[in-house]
Amino acid sequence: MDWFQPEHVAIVTGGSRGLGKAVARELLRKGLVVIIDGRDAAELERTRAELAGTGDVVAIAGDVADPRHAHALIAAAQHMGRLDLLVNNASTLGKTPLPAVAELDRSTFDALFEVNVFAPIHLIQHALKLMARSDLATIVNVTSDAGVEGYPTWGGYGATKAALEHVSRVLAAELEGSATRVLVFDPGDMDTAMHRDAVPDADPAELRDPADSARALLRAIAEMKAGFERVRATDLIVA
Amino acid sequence: MTAAAAHSRGLVDATEPPEHRGVARDAVRMLVTDRRARSQTHAHFYDLPSLLRPGDLLVVNDSATLPAALLARRRSGSTLPLHVSTQIDERLWTVEPRGPVTSAETLMLPGGATTKLLAPADPRRPRLWYAAFELPVPMPAYLARFGAPIAYAYLSRSFPLADYQTLFARQAGSSEMPSAARPFTERVVARLQNRGIKIATVTLHCGVASFESPERPGTERFFVPPAAAEKVNTARREGRRVIAIGTTVVRALESAVTEGAVIASQGWTDLFIDQAYRLRTVDALLSGFHDATGTHVSMLRAFIDEDLLQDAYAEAANRGYFCHEFGDVHLIQ
Repeated sequence: MDWFQPEHVAIVTGGSRGLGKAVARELLRKGLVVIIDGRDAAELERTRAELAGTGDVVAIAGDVADPRHAHALIAAAQHMGRLDLLVNNASTLGKTPLPAVAELDRSTFDALFEVNVFAPIHLIQHALKLMARSDLATIVNVTSDAGVEGYPTWGGYGATKAALEHVSRVLAAELEGSATRVLVFDPGDMDTAMHRDAVPDADPAELRDPADSARALLRAIAEMKAGFERVRATDLIVA
Repeated sequence: MTAAAAHSRGLVDATEPPEHRGVARDAVRMLVTDRRARSQTHAHFYDLPSLLRPGDLLVVNDSATLPAALLARRRSGSTLPLHVSTQIDERLWTVEPRGPVTSAETLMLPGGATTKLLAPADPRRPRLWYAAFELPVPMPAYLARFGAPIAYAYLSRSFPLADYQTLFARQAGSSEMPSAARPFTERVVARLQNRGIKIATVTLHCGVASFESPERPGTERFFVPPAAAEKVNTARREGRRVIAIGTTVVRALESAVTEGAVIASQGWTDLFIDQAYRLRTVDALLSGFHDATGTHVSMLRAFIDEDLLQDAYAEAANRGYFCHEFGDVHLIQ
């Protein structure tokens, strides 16, 4: 049976561009109702209008780190009576160019953790009750190899991804026996605005189309066998 | 005949506020169902203080009614009544278009405003949509200028917004009046206080009710402030009764229960209360008479069994009780 059923409801944070937008589009193609958010209201509305031709998409402008905005996202799903998929995709690089650990100031570090760690945890906390109604719900936390490898200047961002991954592991252990699973997904280096901010001189030809990573994510969700998995898009995409 | 239809059979439509037919707000009739004696008696609402016990805690809903009905215009030029229901964020609300619409349709609103219908809010209730509004001012101010109270066909004419506000109305946000508290007046409140009956306040903004089905009630926004949580918990600890003024209050309090106690809470609730639900915060209920609203009747079954419910509605019907928002009331204790 295909995991993706029409009338299933998904929230994709950071859905106005890049990977989030590509994931929203793939989910809409499967017939899901998709709720997206983004900080830039004008950009979000352009994306919503573009995606509206593919399926039922609801856009709510706001910052995932704002608790009131997070509540609104959950409330939107609650109106539909269910939440089957939560994709915590929104994240920030903090300051660019990325500073070395020795130069990483406290406010940048705080902001990184607010958006990349505390915000997804908060959203998960509010989503769990609604997700418990689903036959098989999935929480996806988008991560990065920077959370595993020791790349110079990626210490702040990488620390948030390492933290998010560990919380995901613990959460999955706590959810064992329930119908809610946790997937940590590393989409790889993609041709996105975020990647350009981080690595301005990267060759776009060497970067992946976010649509390919999005399709890899849908495949990873559909093929999930355990309550916790860590999947790299690279392993699912044959070049 | 469905159970809901049977319950409303014989009740009389209240086509106007009681004041318009020469009956004071607090002089509407009140059916009193005694759960233990399994009996009904007839009273008037102003008898409430003498029917309650000193120490009882009344919990009221202070949500004020918005003039939530707008007249929208479609691109084709035709007009379409639009009922604004529940707020999700500043711009996003659920709405009920009172006619067929298409996805992603933009509707023109008075004063140069627009709203875009994004997607059906609930596949089981295709009449409710997510709508993104572009308004010159915040929604309450906009509706105050251009909206009218939602009114259904059984009303004889339109009535001013003041007729849709209860004595406790403070927080604007309901698209339909939380009507159980409508009969309350200053003199009744004064007599309640003299009897040693306390009042606590919660907020639940009522969404549109017209689409209600027995399957599931709508999602509504609620607030249980610390003071109300404290008063309810204290009353229950001391063995005093908690009396909900309206099913909205039951829904708000029961949505705020964690590990047996009420905690200060806010958010949206889609809690469905029926005969299988074990109430944890409320001992008695004052509510209106409503026809065919499955979720309303379902909640009454959490207080009394089907036989007693049938008896109560039959008794009310025999005596020609009025139903709907301007009708008579029912105390279940």
